[in-house]
Amino acid sequence: MKALCEKAVETALAAGASYADARAVFTRRQHVLTKNGQVDDLSDSESEGIGVRVLVDGAWGFAGDRRLDEAGARDAASRACAFALAAPSRNGRQLAPVEPQQGRYETQLERDPFDVPLSEKIDLCLRAEEGMRQPQIKVTQAMVRAQREEKVLVSSEGSSIEQVLVECGGGIDASAAAGDQLQIRSYPSQHSGASGQGGWEYVESLGLDREAERVGEQAVALLTANECPAGNRTVVIDSEQMALQVHESVGHPTELDRVYGTEAAYAGTSFLKAGDLGSLRYGSDLMNITADSTTPGGLGTFGFDDEAVPARREAIVEGGVLSGFLTSRETAAKLGAGQGGSMRAEGWSRMPLVRMTNLHLEPHEGTLDDLLGDVDDGLYLETNKSWSIDDKRLNFQFGTQIAWEIKKGKVGRMLRDVTYTGNTPVFWGSMDAVGGQETWVLYGLTNCGKGQPGQSAHVSHGAAPARFRDVQVGVKS
Amino acid sequence: MKTLELAERALKAAEGDEAEVLVHAEHSGVARFASSEVHQPTLIDNTGVRLRIVRDGKVGSAYTNRIGDEALAELVRRAGEVADSARPDPHFPGLAPPANPPAVNGYDEETAVLGADDQARLAAAAIEAAGEFGLYGYFTSGVTELAIASTTGVRHHQAMTDAVCLCLAAVEGKSGWSVRTSSRVGDLTPAEPAEEAAAKAARTGGAQEIEPGPYRAVLEPYAVADLLTWFAYDSFSGLGFIEERSFLAGRLGEKALDEKVSISDDALDERGLPKAFDFDGVPKQRVQLVEDGVLKGVVWDRESAARAGEGVESTGHAPPDAWKYLGPQPFALSMDGGEAGSYDELAELVGDGIYVTRLHYLSIVQPREGVLTGMTKDGTFRIRDGKVAEPLVNLRFTVALPDVLADVPGLTRDPMLVNQNELYDDRYPFAARVPGITTAKFNITGTGSGPGL
Repeated sequence: MKALCEKAVETALAAGASYADARAVFTRRQHVLTKNGQVDDLSDSESEGIGVRVLVDGAWGFAGDRRLDEAGARDAASRACAFALAAPSRNGRQLAPVEPQQGRYETQLERDPFDVPLSEKIDLCLRAEEGMRQPQIKVTQAMVRAQREEKVLVSSEGSSIEQVLVECGGGIDASAAAGDQLQIRSYPSQHSGASGQGGWEYVESLGLDREAERVGEQAVALLTANECPAGNRTVVIDSEQMALQVHESVGHPTELDRVYGTEAAYAGTSFLKAGDLGSLRYGSDLMNITADSTTPGGLGTFGFDDEAVPARREAIVEGGVLSGFLTSRETAAKLGAGQGGSMRAEGWSRMPLVRMTNLHLEPHEGTLDDLLGDVDDGLYLETNKSWSIDDKRLNFQFGTQIAWEIKKGKVGRMLRDVTYTGNTPVFWGSMDAVGGQETWVLYGLTNCGKGQPGQSAHVSHGAAPARFRDVQVGVKS
Repeated sequence: MKTLELAERALKAAEGDEAEVLVHAEHSGVARFASSEVHQPTLIDNTGVRLRIVRDGKVGSAYTNRIGDEALAELVRRAGEVADSARPDPHFPGLAPPANPPAVNGYDEETAVLGADDQARLAAAAIEAAGEFGLYGYFTSGVTELAIASTTGVRHHQAMTDAVCLCLAAVEGKSGWSVRTSSRVGDLTPAEPAEEAAAKAARTGGAQEIEPGPYRAVLEPYAVADLLTWFAYDSFSGLGFIEERSFLAGRLGEKALDEKVSISDDALDERGLPKAFDFDGVPKQRVQLVEDGVLKGVVWDRESAARAGEGVESTGHAPPDAWKYLGPQPFALSMDGGEAGSYDELAELVGDGIYVTRLHYLSIVQPREGVLTGMTKDGTFRIRDGKVAEPLVNLRFTVALPDVLADVPGLTRDPMLVNQNELYDDRYPFAARVPGITTAKFNITGTGSGPGL
């Protein structure tokens, strides 16, 4: 694959490109889904191809071709250059300088998920499903997945990188129905479970069958639970929902391409401006957010991003103040700070975009009980159910699958149909407690959408439960 | 027809098994622009082969985009291994029998031959027409081919084209939106959506907040299309119906909506993006979902129909693999128009309320009740005395769609085709053909950021 990438870069330079990079990518995916005791989906897919990105007279061009041969490499390079020439840039585009990189990175794993027999995966799913079964449960389902991505990146600046990224994951869901009521409980999350880089040991660590009975019981119990009343309350949010809160209200708005408007027509822009760096009050003093593409097990972990920038850890919010953006080499050059490091593409047929890698809410101190103990009258919210946020990432509304009343520091009755809403900096400003390291959990999501054509990124977020004061809950239609 | 030949070649490689091959090919270009410059130009060429093998009632599926003989033999080995590992599925209805799909005309040679130069030129034409506003969006065109061959005798092929020009005209504090969609590029004039978006944007400066609460509203087709599409994921799907996520579950035959509301899925309508068969190889049927306000039906694929039993048959709505978790989907939603000749006439019907151009970031809050949330965007206004008045900031709505459609004082006469494909995964063009509507209840639950960048 390296030789093909070199050929593509050579072709692009000969066609007039001032910069070119070529990524040859092979991806294999396996998916096992069981539903109501039957195998519902069993599939094994592979896709390969080459994507060539060029700068010609300051304008970008990109073309992807499935053929991993010399003709495919040459054609992709030529077509990318033709596209750049057809759509000239008036302003030129600069890239922040990086040293040429040579290297290889491979996910460390104990048991390759593709070596695990399909029958073992099916057995795990069916066992977990069995554990969820209850009267009034309409649908049980269990899923495990695996992905292996091999990619080679060669750039005209002399970078040449090979990476092998392996990830896997799983999850379970139970839906209960009675009358007009439909309630769902999921573990570890509703978003295709949770995934992490590593071997099958990650899936085993989730304990899908261990959690199954609780998931089934809670789905049924929700059918007769009271609806969450409307009002302003103190809320303690579990680490799973906090992961999504970080994703939507910190991750996306700190993507510098959004700040500069290049996602305006789809994913949206940002309430942040480039000049806010170092001064904007994002949240309370307890708010510390870190972007870390070196996190063991993270879905956004790599040796180098898709612009050959080495992985690293950097602060995005420190003590509640905006201290960094997620950048590409182009946006970093425009900002005059940083060097990129967040450019990622889905497969071979998409152009790299600024994406989250692993973005974490850093832990502070205390147990979940400590967080609950200081609540006189509030709610404990668990597991995301619905999510929506405005294009500048200010007004958000999230729903969770379940909530529990907190009275005088103790968890009480279960509540259903819970939503909460707020304004991003006001909400983060109301955070007065974050759990300690022992409550911090890493979640991997595989459905982060962005770009036109659309790309689904795999990203991770580590978060501890956190407490927020005076939050509006119980939004009704 | 090379894709059908490829499907037959892959089927031959699977000789000895009960098998089905689906070939999905894409040749496309997207000239994506921001601040009136192309910044993410993407050309894609791909051909993928999905093979399903059935052994003793056990089904295994494998996919590759390597199409040489050796790769196809490897595909057969992988699919066979998957099938051998599976368990017999009592609900598996078997592979589709041979059938004659309806003749549809969703292919246009002029669109098919567009190259990077053309896509860049058409994007530039839109940018040029936006005047003082920065233009954000894209021009895209592409050819999608589906071919399916099976040991049951199915042999289908369809090539379809689509072209979309999506325009957000924006500066700080002002923005407007417009999209044009067609299977024929000759039907699109990129300057039109750009001018429409710019004209809308020009009216959005100085946007104000309003108090949350229920409002009478005008919804332009862009907003209607998004609401229907999100509602349809669960409520018009046969799988959602049998799993009781659908609002229609237990309500078929009930008059739940305004009698002016009639909704179908009609992939055969040549005013849309026509399709002849689904991803099971079953011919497409027109399905009446709502008629004169009465809940009439949902769409089915072979698997969900078999699970439903009681004589239910596939209506030709098996989705691409990436959508399979949702079950069968209506990819050609169509809502009948009404009597109104313009959006201004709709505003007159509203009298006092709000005007919504389009929506952003929808999410399903309660599927069974059809509750959705999201934001209005790029052209939200107050309506006073039957006239579109001052601009508003983006508003958060939380609505039960059946409530929105329960009282619809008016609809525009001519429905508009609104692109619904966000270009994820392999290209499969789809759009909703809907009118602008008025509703007596659109529940606003918060305010967000202002229009513009």
